[in-house]
Amino acid sequence: MKKLYLLPLAALILTIFVLAFAAYSEQEWKAERPPEDITFRETLGLPSIAMGTNYGATRNPLLEVYCTSLYDMPGGYCYIYSASFLGTPLKDPVFRAAIPGFNLTAQKS
Amino acid sequence: MLRRHRNLFYYAVDCLKKYKTRTIVVLAVFTIAVSMLSSVLFLKDGLEREAELSVSLAPDITVEYLKGGRILLLPASYVEKASKIEGVERVVPRIWGYAGIGLNTYTVIGLDLSRLPNYYELSALVERGRFLLPEDSGRGSIVIGQLIAGVLKVDVGDTIILLSESIEAHRFTVVGIFSAESTIYTADLIVMPIEDARAFFRIPEDYVTDMMVYVDPEFPVDNVAAKLSLLPNARVITQDLLLRGYKAAYAARGGFFVTMWAILLAAVALVSFSQATIVGRESRFEVGLLKTFGFTTLDIIEIRLIESLILGLFSASLGITIGIIYDVVFKAPLFAEALLGWAFLPAEFRLPVYVSFASVFAIYSVTVLPLLFATVVPAWLNAITDPELAMRRAAA
Repeated sequence: MKKLYLLPLAALILTIFVLAFAAYSEQEWKAERPPEDITFRETLGLPSIAMGTNYGATRNPLLEVYCTSLYDMPGGYCYIYSASFLGTPLKDPVFRAAIPGFNLTAQKS
Repeated sequence: MLRRHRNLFYYAVDCLKKYKTRTIVVLAVFTIAVSMLSSVLFLKDGLEREAELSVSLAPDITVEYLKGGRILLLPASYVEKASKIEGVERVVPRIWGYAGIGLNTYTVIGLDLSRLPNYYELSALVERGRFLLPEDSGRGSIVIGQLIAGVLKVDVGDTIILLSESIEAHRFTVVGIFSAESTIYTADLIVMPIEDARAFFRIPEDYVTDMMVYVDPEFPVDNVAAKLSLLPNARVITQDLLLRGYKAAYAARGGFFVTMWAILLAAVALVSFSQATIVGRESRFEVGLLKTFGFTTLDIIEIRLIESLILGLFSASLGITIGIIYDVVFKAPLFAEALLGWAFLPAEFRLPVYVSFASVFAIYSVTVLPLLFATVVPAWLNAITDPELAMRRAAA
């Protein structure tokens, strides 16, 4: 085969791959979640997903609008802390050292 | 007939080589733009779907206590009052809040272990150790997410010390670590018995944070919510309200994407048009020559269509493939941060990537279609010109 025809061939193969992956992804998202996952989410009842934040407003920063529109919803995670880039006494090592029995770390068993 | 089309196809492929600079420029611009766009789009779709799933599994109604416009602790007596309302199937009191470890804040959930629906199902979510048992109440046992386990480098049996808002150090023993598959929901979670959560947050015995109300399917949720609203100071939030809140949040985020799409569309169309114009002079001569040899206007448009289709499909598909690999394998290191604002995605977090047909076809339509228009229109204008005139103009 001429080298020249590699481009249309590659275009065809890549397009088939993309469509096949989309079909796989659709199928994966349509599939039923494991029962333990559903039971756990129902038990906790948190509407938010676990995404860390550097900003003391929400657990899930995608939901800033959600947080401000519904205020302190369970799982909306609007809480009051100074943002980490400003620093708080909690993060000050001197402050931590002053609390008896507290080192903010873990202890191996 | 088929042979004619095949020959036109071969000629179009040959043109891709002939106009090498245009081919390379269009390929590069399209591939880069599409890979960036698809990466962000698939990630956003995945996060949205995952969040919607969580909301759909939230309780039918959540009741908080409001006083002077501020949310306060809910009196435990409300649990009994709500249980007596017609249509209420089950009421579950809840204690939850936040705890800081280092620079991060984690979610602490107190579970009433005597009311757990199915212990065996829940224990399947624990990768190491076990899930909480009713005997764990008051013992300081906790189950933690992979993120916390990774940050503190702790395993089952280890002790972690959390600082409460009352400036008290509380010791907890890790009895289990949630599985990697569940990190999207559990990464930042600390689950403990409700009694321990009460002690940690120093919540008095006759108060809870809020309560979850499950409604009998035979009763309309809104009717039950209306009755619950009659409880003094109650703030009643239905699942439908949560869903509407989510939609409002994502609609606001959606504005950002609409702008991005518009910019991308304009850029792609401009590049294609400018390339079509650059090669226009040479192409004009070629078109004139082809028409002299007997090619029709339709043949010339077909050649340009095939060229654009190959270029568009290849670059868009390559861009989408790069976007998928970037999200799935590399966890979208740069775009995820831009998308998520203040968020940080820990290594333990399993990014939800959703490659939907709707998104894929949308990407193809904003890349391939403008390219087709941007190249076919100049080709058509050349093709309808008199061949002799076209060649003279091109030679001039």
